[in-house]
Order: sequence, then structure tokens, then C-alpha cells
Amino acid sequence: MSARPRTARRASRARGISVWLIALLVALVATVQIRSEAEVERSLVGIDSTSLAFLIDDLHRANESLDAEKAALVRLRAQLQSGQSGAADQVLTDEANRLRALEGLIPVQGPGVVMVIDASGLQALDLQDALNNLAAAGAEAIDVNQRRVVTGVPVTQTRDGVAIDGVVVVPPWKISVIGDVNRLAAVADLMAQQLRADRRVREATYRIDSDVVIRSVISERPFVYAVAS
Amino acid sequence: MTRPHIATFALIALVALATGFVLAGQIRAQLLTPSNQLARYQALVRNVQELEATNADDRRQIASLRVQIDGLESEAAARSAATQALKSQLSDLRAHAGLIAMHGPGLEVSLRNGVPGPDTGGKAGYLINFQDVQDVVNLLFAQGAEGIAVNGRRITPLTAFSGSEGQIVIDQGTPFTAPVKIAAVGDRNRMQEALDDPSALPDIRARQVQFQVHLTLEGSADVALPAYDSSLQIPHVSST
Repeated sequence: MSARPRTARRASRARGISVWLIALLVALVATVQIRSEAEVERSLVGIDSTSLAFLIDDLHRANESLDAEKAALVRLRAQLQSGQSGAADQVLTDEANRLRALEGLIPVQGPGVVMVIDASGLQALDLQDALNNLAAAGAEAIDVNQRRVVTGVPVTQTRDGVAIDGVVVVPPWKISVIGDVNRLAAVADLMAQQLRADRRVREATYRIDSDVVIRSVISERPFVYAVAS
Repeated sequence: MTRPHIATFALIALVALATGFVLAGQIRAQLLTPSNQLARYQALVRNVQELEATNADDRRQIASLRVQIDGLESEAAARSAATQALKSQLSDLRAHAGLIAMHGPGLEVSLRNGVPGPDTGGKAGYLINFQDVQDVVNLLFAQGAEGIAVNGRRITPLTAFSGSEGQIVIDQGTPFTAPVKIAAVGDRNRMQEALDDPSALPDIRARQVQFQVHLTLEGSADVALPAYDSSLQIPHVSST
């Protein structure tokens, strides 16, 4: 008598369980799908795989530079730790001369490229961009028409044209750069191509030079406001 | 058929329908391909993250080595007046190169992204980019800034700015995006007047109107700048 209702109840419970199982499966698949798409979307925001590959390349190069700096500093520390007579003075003198070259305080020479840009109507921003492109390509010393340029030297727009540290540099601009020739030449080539497409530009050329000599220097400016921490 | 049976079948039909839609959506979205793309993308992201971690670690080590070297130099300088004079010259050169932390009166400029809008020239004009940072830094230097740091990264005589879209890279640092804080030590009034000049920074001003990019500045009696913590090697340069 009671066997049939019990069987029916069991079958109904089984159906209920299977419905819930299917519902669970649907929810799971939907969640996986939505999360997967959301993850793709979130990770792709603002940067694609190609840009990531370039970023990896840049980071590799940056880390190589940092490794080189670490190695140089470890050598410097070892020299100072050697305690040999005169070792400290030599280290300090060498380091001071290196920084003078880096800050544009002394004439320098080395391999690099020389660009010539002849144009009318180019602005200070154009020269700033050109100098920044070369700096990003590893320029170690730059001169424009016998004016030494490092980051911090003002390149401004005046009524008479573009001025470097207050002195107008009249086109054609001859930009002499010392650094890694391969990297500099690649950037100079791109810049020359882009400039030639600009109607204002009459000439944009570059040449590789195994010994670029930069004689211009910057006058050291004492700090007025800044104090070492 | 009883009412509970009908309800159960209706529910099953609904679930089956939903499953069908999800599966169809899945196939349309080519879940397998995005999954592979995602895996490849995640591998690239992991690579970037590892390189960024190495980069940060290297910069910490460089900062630590410079402190150790400074200590050794000071010890040597304490033993000789000539060495002391050399050390003093070197400290001044290091300060100008950005290798020494400094502080003084100045201001802080904040740059923040605006809101997306119709783009011009294929550039996402609402994003703060490296050229914006470069323009502000150049303007501040032109107005006599004696030291500048961008998001805690000190600007040196060899500093270069690069990046794409809203990514900003300074020297050998890792990329970052807006908001960007540019801290400068120098003549506060002169720098502030230049930044307030409506004819200065024309590109940013135009995008302030078009995309609501933010440029704000705040003067301060004491702005602190960290020391540069990356490479300043010039292997191709020699003195004449």
C-alpha cells in the first residue's frame, strides 16, 4: 500500500536533485564564461600584447643598465675598501670628472651621430621632442649649434626663435650626440624620416661619426633654494 | 500529469534553454581562443611583473650601494684635508646630478586623466602621457627649478621620458600611469606664475577644455625630493 507513494516521492526527489544539479552546472559555466571574459577585458585595458612585448624589451634593457650601474658601484666600493694610499682620492677624482662630463661641465668626445635639421617655423617643443627622443635612445652628451644641452637646460620659444639657455639657435640645427651608435642611428633615422614629411623642414639628415667632439659646456649654477637632506 | 510534474518539466525546460543560450554564447565568444589568448597574455604579464620586481630590487641595491660608498668616502675624507676637499666637490656635483636627496621651498603639480571623448589624431587625449610630464618638467626647469621628482623619481641631466598612450616611463624605471605628481624645489612664485600663464602648456590647456584633464598645483614651504636610484653610466663619453 505505501510502496507506490514512497517510489513516487523518491522519483520526484531524484528529479529535483537533477534539476538543481543542472542549474548548478549552468551557473558554473556562466560564471566561468563571465569571469574569463572579464579577465581578458580587464587585463587588456590600455595595453595590448604587442605593447607588452615592447615593454618587456624596454624593461630588459633598463635592467641591464641597472646591472651595469650595480657592477660599477661594487667596483667603486671595492676600491674604497682597499684602503690603499691615494685610492680614495683617485676614486673621488674619477667620479667627479665623470659627473662633470655627465652634467655638461666639461668638453667630451666619443662615438655618436650628427643630425642636421634645416627648417623654418619649428618651435621649442619640436626641439625638446627631438632632444628627448635622442635621450631616450641613450644619448650621453648632446650639443645643438655649439650649445650644450642636458635635461634641465631650458629650451624656450622666444620672438626671435628657439633659444637654448636664453641664446637663440638659428636653423639649420646641427645636433651632435654621443652614445651607443646603433641605438642613436636607429632613432635618428626615424626622426629624419618623420621630419622630411613635415612641410616646414627643408633638410633632415644624419651621419654616424666614430668621434663626435663636443666642446660646448654649461656653467655650473649654485643652488639657492635646495638643501641636501 | 500532476501540477508538480508540470512545474518540474517547465523548470527543466527553462534550465535546458538557459544552458543552450550559455553554450551558444560560449561558442560565439570562442571561449577556447580567448583562453589561449589569455594564457599567452598572462605569461607576458607575469614576465613584466618579474622584470618589474627585478627592476625595483636593483634600484634598492643601487641606492644601498651609494649609501655605503658615501660612508666609505666620508671615512677617507676624515683622514685627509685633500680628500675632504675632493669629497666636498663631489657632493656638490652629486647634488646637481640628482644623486642626493634634497628639500626646499617649491611646489607640487598634479596631473590627472580627464574623461574619454572624441579623439583627435589617433591619440587618447583624455590620458596624461609622457609628453605632458616632459612639458611640465621643461617648464619648471626653465623657471629655475633646482631639482624635480616625478612620482618619486628624480630627474637627472640624462633623464629621458618615453611611453605609449597613458603609460609613462622615466629612465630605467617601470612604467606608471596618471595621477602624476611632479615635485619641484626652486623659486615657488616664479614657477607658479609660469604654470598659471594661459599661454604656457598649450596642449594640456586645450585638453583641459576638451577632455577635462586635470592640472593643479600647490605651493609648499618644504618639498622633499628623493635621490636618483638608477643608472647614470656614460660608457661612450670621454673627456677631450
